[in-house]
Amino acid sequence: MSAAVIPSTEENVLQDPLRFERRVPPCAIVIFGASGDLSKRKLLPSLYRLFFERRISTEFAVIGSSRTPMSDDQFRERMRDSVSKFLEDAPFDEDVWRSFAQCLFYVPGDLSNPESYDEIRNKLDQVEKSHQTAGNVLFYLSTQPSYYAEAIQALGEHGLTKGNGWRRVIIEKPFGHDLESARKLNLEIHKVLDESAIYRIDHYLGKETVQNILAFRFGNGIFEPLWNRRYISFIQITAAESIGVEGRGGYYQEAGALRDMIQNHLSQVMATVAMEPPSVFDANSVRDERAKLLRSVRVIKPDDVPTYAVAGQYGPAKVGGQDIPGFRQEPSVNPEAQTDTYAAVTFFIDNWRWAGVPIYIRSGKRMPKRVTDIAIQFHAPPLGLFTQETKSGPREARPNLLVLRIQPEEGISLRFLSKSPGSGMRVRPVSMDFNYGSSFGERSPTAYETLLLDAMNGDPTLYTRQDMVDASWQIVQPILDVWAHTKFDFPNYPAGSWGPKAADEMLARQGHVWRIP
Amino acid sequence: MSSTAIYPAHPENILKGLGKLWTSLGQEESHQGKPTVMRACAMTLIVATDEPDCGFLASQIISELMREHPSRGIVLAIDKSAENSLEARVLAQCWKPFGKAQQICCEQIEILSSPDYWPNVGPTLVGLTVADLPVMFWCRHKGALNVAATEDQNAGLEVILDLSSKVIIDTEGDDPASAFALISRLRREGRNLADLEWARLTFWREAFAQIFDNSARTNRFSDFHTIEILHAGDKLTPSAAYAAGWFASVGKAKISIKGTKGFGPGLHSIRMISDNETITFERTGTECARLSSTNGRSRSYSYSQPALYSLLHQELSILGADRAFNVAFSRAGEFVR
Repeated sequence: MSAAVIPSTEENVLQDPLRFERRVPPCAIVIFGASGDLSKRKLLPSLYRLFFERRISTEFAVIGSSRTPMSDDQFRERMRDSVSKFLEDAPFDEDVWRSFAQCLFYVPGDLSNPESYDEIRNKLDQVEKSHQTAGNVLFYLSTQPSYYAEAIQALGEHGLTKGNGWRRVIIEKPFGHDLESARKLNLEIHKVLDESAIYRIDHYLGKETVQNILAFRFGNGIFEPLWNRRYISFIQITAAESIGVEGRGGYYQEAGALRDMIQNHLSQVMATVAMEPPSVFDANSVRDERAKLLRSVRVIKPDDVPTYAVAGQYGPAKVGGQDIPGFRQEPSVNPEAQTDTYAAVTFFIDNWRWAGVPIYIRSGKRMPKRVTDIAIQFHAPPLGLFTQETKSGPREARPNLLVLRIQPEEGISLRFLSKSPGSGMRVRPVSMDFNYGSSFGERSPTAYETLLLDAMNGDPTLYTRQDMVDASWQIVQPILDVWAHTKFDFPNYPAGSWGPKAADEMLARQGHVWRIP
Repeated sequence: MSSTAIYPAHPENILKGLGKLWTSLGQEESHQGKPTVMRACAMTLIVATDEPDCGFLASQIISELMREHPSRGIVLAIDKSAENSLEARVLAQCWKPFGKAQQICCEQIEILSSPDYWPNVGPTLVGLTVADLPVMFWCRHKGALNVAATEDQNAGLEVILDLSSKVIIDTEGDDPASAFALISRLRREGRNLADLEWARLTFWREAFAQIFDNSARTNRFSDFHTIEILHAGDKLTPSAAYAAGWFASVGKAKISIKGTKGFGPGLHSIRMISDNETITFERTGTECARLSSTNGRSRSYSYSQPALYSLLHQELSILGADRAFNVAFSRAGEFVR
């Protein structure tokens, strides 16, 4: 996404970045966990789409590997079904699929079995010749997190992290289960790989609308002067899902909303919203600023956790005429589970720009709708001249709200007061909207398309670095520690609601309320 | 697509017509209380044409472009059989994005002028551009672009040129000397100019650029001391001159251009020669091309003459100055003399 591609343009005098599609170098992608959900729903559809758009070179191969015994053809057939089913916002083209399928291979194997790695190496040698992949290999660990260290160690032992071309490894979240395990995992991985070869994926950072936060902030001159404590009252970041755990009860029971969403995705979104401008737009400068911001987040003291963090768990409810089970009634979930399916935290950033501005982050399952957005609430004017009309009668309020909508209706809206038609000076809020879909007719690439392309191009701007992971664990660890020793009276919010009352009370203590997205 | 005819074509009437059109679209469509039509506009796209189809082709291409370049499209056509008339029609071009319930619509204005009214179309257009957004002008009016253009033809054109952030012309089939003279004049006047004939070269240029993306060939372009460009037919084409200008702008190879009976229109082949290798990219049929090297490697491409839609898509994606075009053009003249 960034200037990382510029050097090759400078070397090749015939390049014309204004007109030529950015193409990735020849490479092979090895996907561990290829029969899993992520491969089926995201990775293969994204690679197919990039192939369809001729963004990836014809010198390209995908080697899937997992424990399921399958031939190349059976793997292709399975992936065909998945791609046609899960392809987002684009039709499936049978002819293109046939060409793409010729680049798909499969090696059955177990990550703990050394022979599997030898077979992968043999297959890589084979595709290097048949598909001219130039020895470049991108490994994608889409396995259970407990296998990450073992798999990377084995890649090193079997000589797979070195070769004729570059070698890179994408690691899916969660990166560690807590601060200590994340640090340990980093140590293990660094025994084999240099940091520059490690691509820790956080698919939120690949979303067009999250990237657009940077364009919005640093490409325009009018917002940045207001982007500080003098003008901003508070920020709310919401990531709500209407679905429950959808068969992932076993995993989710161990993770919870704080680990699953806030430690990684939402803390990175917060860093993107609040970071200082980088001096240049390149991978390390942008990541330096994100890391610096995360290190500035005030670490909550254990005694303060109940004041600044709220855990919730959904209970059963009737939604839209349907009986929705509570979390504890979901399959594979312990009926006494203390898991947070909802988490809300008040963060403060201790730097000159943000001192005293609360940043409220909430994420939950079984909320009334699926929505992710960032709401920036500006201060009220210093003198309230007008009375604002609201449903509940006249009141004076903070009228200016900037909402950056990440999904599903990607866009930006700015709320301000306008005079109501008619006599008298009555004002009411109106909204100015920018909608991605209508301003850019082109289909936006999915987050995984963007991130896969970046990894193949060697551009880590949208991937998280070791220090960013470390910093984001540091800010949630005290909360996790306190919650681990707390017996919650769960469930505390019904499915289909906006979360527990305690979360409203957390904001009320600051004189604020959650907005309804 | 629904449309309303407006006569006489005063800007105010046309804008009122557009307003009514949106109101009726909004009333027609509503779903669960939510509007199912969204208005999209990122630029004003003006097309002026003197083709005998009264703007039919231009209208069709605008509607194809709307998805990627949502705009207020204005087609300005001449009806040579009409007298003393300037009439307009407003319509909406709508489409539904894959998997979405909401339609996205762009507005289009078609203005049909009799030849005697042509000098008046400029002032009509001034009031019709969308405020604060770029104005792109695709000029298909060959008469007005000609050196022999009448004062009236020029008068109609000047106002539009002055409005435009970018002017797009197409010199395909033109004599390169007069085409380049026109481009030079427009550039001297400070116009941001694009030529679709240059966009036709993208396929060729990209194929050559990819050769040098390979790490084994990095920085090896300068090894190629001779470049031979063959165009279809006897007459030198602007595309061949552009190709020569492009190669001249990035290296020091000796460049020659010749005509051949090969596949056309436009370029037939380009050959690059170094002491150790010759690379040839040539059309081997009406729908195929082959890139081959004396080192034994070759690769076939499917080739089709790029459609106007795709050429315009390229140009509308570039709002500012096109450095590669400007530099290539400044050298292309050397091959026309």
